Amino acid sequence: MYPLIETIYVQAAIACFAIFLLLQIMFFLRKYWIHSLEKQYSIVDRINALLPQTQCGRCGYAGCRPYAKAMSLGEQVNKCPPGGESTIVNLSLMLNEHKKTLDPAHGEFLQAAVAVIREEECIGCTKCIQACPVDAILGGTKLMHTVIESECTACDLCIEPCPVDCIDLIQLPPLKPLWQSPGTAERGLSGRSFVGGGSL
Amino acid sequence: MKLMRKIFSADKNVSYGRTIPGGIRPRAHKITSLRSRVMATPIPPVLIIPLNQQQGKASRPCVKAGDRVLKYQKIAEAADDSSLNIHAPSSGVVSMIQNHTTININAANQLCIFIETDGIDEEVPIPDTLDWRGMTSEQLLPVISNAGICGMGGAGFPLSKKIDSAIIPDIHTLIINAVECEPFITADQALIREHADEVIQGAQILQHAINAKRCLLAIESDKTDAIEALSNYADRDSIKLLLLDNKYPAGGERQLIQAATGKELPAGHLPAEAGIYVQNAGTVFSIYKAVVENKPCISRVTTLTGEALQTPKNFNALVGTQVSWLFDLCGIDNKTHSKSVAGGSLMGIELMDNSAPISQSTNCLIAGSLSEFPDIMPEQACIRCGYCANACPSGLLPQQLLAYSRCEEDELLAQQGLFDCIECGACSYVCPSSIPLVQYYRSSKERIISARQKKETSQAWQNRFQYHQYRIKKLKDEALSRTSAKPVIDKQQSADDPFSKEQAALEVAAAVARVKAKKGNVIASSAATDGSQSDGEPTA
Amino acid sequence: MITSSPFQHGKQTVGDIMSLVIIACIPGICISTWHFGYGLILNILLATSSALAFEAACLLMRHRSLLALKDNSALLTAVLLAISIPPGSPWWLVISGSFVAIVMVKHIYGGLGQNPFNPAMVAYVFLLLSFPLDMTSWHLPIALENLTGGSAETDINLASLSPLSWQRLKLSVLAALPFLSTFYENPQSAIGMIDGMAMATPLIEYKMAGNSAILASRDAGQDIFSRQSGTGWELTNLSYLLGGLFLLYKRIISWHIPFSIIATLGVISFLFYAPNSSTVFGTPYLHLLGSATMIGAFFIATDPVSAATGNNAKIVYGIIIGLSIYSIRVWGSYLDSVALAVLFGNFCAPLLDHYFRPRVYGHGKQGNSGSTLRKPLLSLGDKIES
Repeated sequence: MYPLIETIYVQAAIACFAIFLLLQIMFFLRKYWIHSLEKQYSIVDRINALLPQTQCGRCGYAGCRPYAKAMSLGEQVNKCPPGGESTIVNLSLMLNEHKKTLDPAHGEFLQAAVAVIREEECIGCTKCIQACPVDAILGGTKLMHTVIESECTACDLCIEPCPVDCIDLIQLPPLKPLWQSPGTAERGLSGRSFVGGGSL
Repeated sequence: MKLMRKIFSADKNVSYGRTIPGGIRPRAHKITSLRSRVMATPIPPVLIIPLNQQQGKASRPCVKAGDRVLKYQKIAEAADDSSLNIHAPSSGVVSMIQNHTTININAANQLCIFIETDGIDEEVPIPDTLDWRGMTSEQLLPVISNAGICGMGGAGFPLSKKIDSAIIPDIHTLIINAVECEPFITADQALIREHADEVIQGAQILQHAINAKRCLLAIESDKTDAIEALSNYADRDSIKLLLLDNKYPAGGERQLIQAATGKELPAGHLPAEAGIYVQNAGTVFSIYKAVVENKPCISRVTTLTGEALQTPKNFNALVGTQVSWLFDLCGIDNKTHSKSVAGGSLMGIELMDNSAPISQSTNCLIAGSLSEFPDIMPEQACIRCGYCANACPSGLLPQQLLAYSRCEEDELLAQQGLFDCIECGACSYVCPSSIPLVQYYRSSKERIISARQKKETSQAWQNRFQYHQYRIKKLKDEALSRTSAKPVIDKQQSADDPFSKEQAALEVAAAVARVKAKKGNVIASSAATDGSQSDGEPTA
Repeated sequence: MITSSPFQHGKQTVGDIMSLVIIACIPGICISTWHFGYGLILNILLATSSALAFEAACLLMRHRSLLALKDNSALLTAVLLAISIPPGSPWWLVISGSFVAIVMVKHIYGGLGQNPFNPAMVAYVFLLLSFPLDMTSWHLPIALENLTGGSAETDINLASLSPLSWQRLKLSVLAALPFLSTFYENPQSAIGMIDGMAMATPLIEYKMAGNSAILASRDAGQDIFSRQSGTGWELTNLSYLLGGLFLLYKRIISWHIPFSIIATLGVISFLFYAPNSSTVFGTPYLHLLGSATMIGAFFIATDPVSAATGNNAKIVYGIIIGLSIYSIRVWGSYLDSVALAVLFGNFCAPLLDHYFRPRVYGHGKQGNSGSTLRKPLLSLGDKIES
């Protein structure tokens, strides 16, 4: 019926095509094979990776990982003020939720900040050291306390315990980017899933 | 054609470089500024010297307001090896040390030393010239670092740090970059055609300092006046001329290495690791002045050009001269002047404030008119024509990078090679839809870098939190094991023990009462607060 | 916010590029008109006017400025479509084709630069599948016409008329706008006259001949430029080739796609050429010059929006198109296979773009870092960077 198939050229062409298809399938499956060799991360770890790790407890949980675990069991995604808008967007994308505005019961979006101890007033009671979840305060009993600026997450947990109220939360100036993306500048979008189209 | 030139060229010291992939040939706009010789500027009334003229830390001033300084006197010390020693360009009085706008894009508003010049130009006594041929690299390095030289090609990397990191690996090729492929800039060409001798001597000093086996001077083949000057003075055995095709961006460091050696610099590696050292010709001239004449770097050749200037030319301008003063020196026509650019037209920075001073890495100032820098056309859709990919010297696909930049697909951007982009602007130049491609890439790079930094910080916080939890748990376990093992403490003893818990609580209460009395009960106690912040003065 | 460098720009705009491509089509259009008559010009007029109208309507509906018409992209799509469909096609054929091309393939997908498929070719395929009879009726070069029927108005022997004569123009207009036949005294014969002028593409006829008409006419001592010798198709193709070389000279297109299409087609047709077999394969010459290959290689497949990017990807793209053209022509049922082949290439273009990227400076064989294996196109959700 198809005498052409008997010619060697066509057979060679079909063989090449079959090998090509096979290679494509192998390449595609290789991606899954590689993943099986990598360490399997639990869903809680993957959600936790999206959180800002300030360990502040504003969401109502003692740290970021308990909140991540709660979210994996169905908790709302809009309870993290330090994460900003981008965290809520990322969480809702990952957990297939509708994007929500930040729950006002848990605070407002904050600027980057750092805690600073006014050293003249510090009495050396170590209450703030015990409160700090990331051990960012250096000091000892009846010795001067000071906040290590680079380790402070601005979680606010040291402000309350201080009996002389000598800790301030100082806002850091917002980092304005040097270059604004032309596409988003025109359209006022924050980016995300915008595809092409000219301005004309 | 090239083969014929190679075979029939009589000069064995002249070789021809390979052509770079991609690249563009824009209109050069170089003729007007090359018509006259390099001129030294008169001394400006005010010199504003930025403390951070390069990539690195700002220098620390070692003079204060009211001091009289002499020319070549050190006025700022290097804070570490990434900053420079700064010297006064002319004699005068330090009027103030204040913030001012500068051309440095990473530190636009930074601390500057203001010097009101007195016009006398009195110098500090300069020691005798050194015999550099008898000195080792270790002896030459302090001389160069004291002179406060940074890379003058536009990037501005501190020279002493670069030489220091190049002494240890085996450098086999020193390439002097006199290519100057960018339109409008003619500073290096003008410098070389008048001071070829000094440039060559400076190259020899540098070669001696880093122990390079051979030295190439790369220059574009159409800069005939500079090539002639070099051929007249070149020491036949030491420096070979490398003539390159007139393509932008052949002068970029990585493209220059490719054109000179035919090999590519592996991504993420420095040229020194590959045994190559590239230095700008203007920097080499400063090295000569620093080592042979013992004069620190206080001036540089800057091109003043643009249609709005009556007399565009190259000036040997003092560091700290204000841009507006230089424009006035050339006779600027404010009606036609539409845009000021520091640097060339393809990689320069737009100046919003002309009162900014020039720094050591400013090689060109353009006072452009509307015909040279026409209004930006509105951005149209990308038609995927591929001209940008043809023009890209790094072998990227700019239209894919554009699509991913718009969608903020950071992973795909990194895969496509966004961080291999040298931001030369060739893609944006050829784009028929007038898409500002370089701006997209710059903003994407910024966004990705800040996201990576944030991620690193949160990872660090998470690690500290986990260690904190581990430490608390360990303490608890130890406490449990201790209470089960130790005998009962005598309660009587605890009252006298100065380090007991009860004593500590008593002392805390006393201290709280003291502070409260001092403040007059303004403090909200911890029991009453519900997360409100204190209203005391913040300490810096 | 300051604007970023570069501040100097090249002068070429999208409108310049598109108009140069249209200019490159002009030699081909002229030769084609000289051989086949005014039908092609009418096609072009109808197509361009309707395309511009549809484009303007779409731009207004999408709330975009009408200045976008300056980029000539609708004009170019219309010209390419008009060249591909038979000259003297009825007006409703041309207008529906341009509707599909401009509105359905271009603007619905996002406008300029966003269409995954070549608009002119999708429109051509749409017309081919919807109106097969009208699309397979091509006007013959004058030497092979077989006219039947006549009336008082057509007493003159039409075979001796030049295609550019006034009567021919009237006939072409009649073909394009058949409702005008009501003005004739004898509408039936007018329609019959037009039908008699048409036949299927010359590819079938020449399949048997397998020889170059140009060489044959030269051997017969005829002037190859005369209309009697039947060299119309080949001369048309040669003039499109000329236009394509002009585009290459002007660096509007790169050589990769046309070269690989022509080379693949030439090699394949040479390999499979069997003059004595029952299935007729046709000579390489026939495949390259006897049909719409040159238009396809230089003007249609090189449409930048739907083609592959990157030079290596372009070569593979051209190979795929060349193979498809040949297979569909020889073993498939569509003789004018360029459109289908180009669409098949458009399907493959994103995959080719992913796997055949140019090598970035500093990565790959000369650089130490980077591997030549591509990471997969889609990632499996979020990954944690360890």
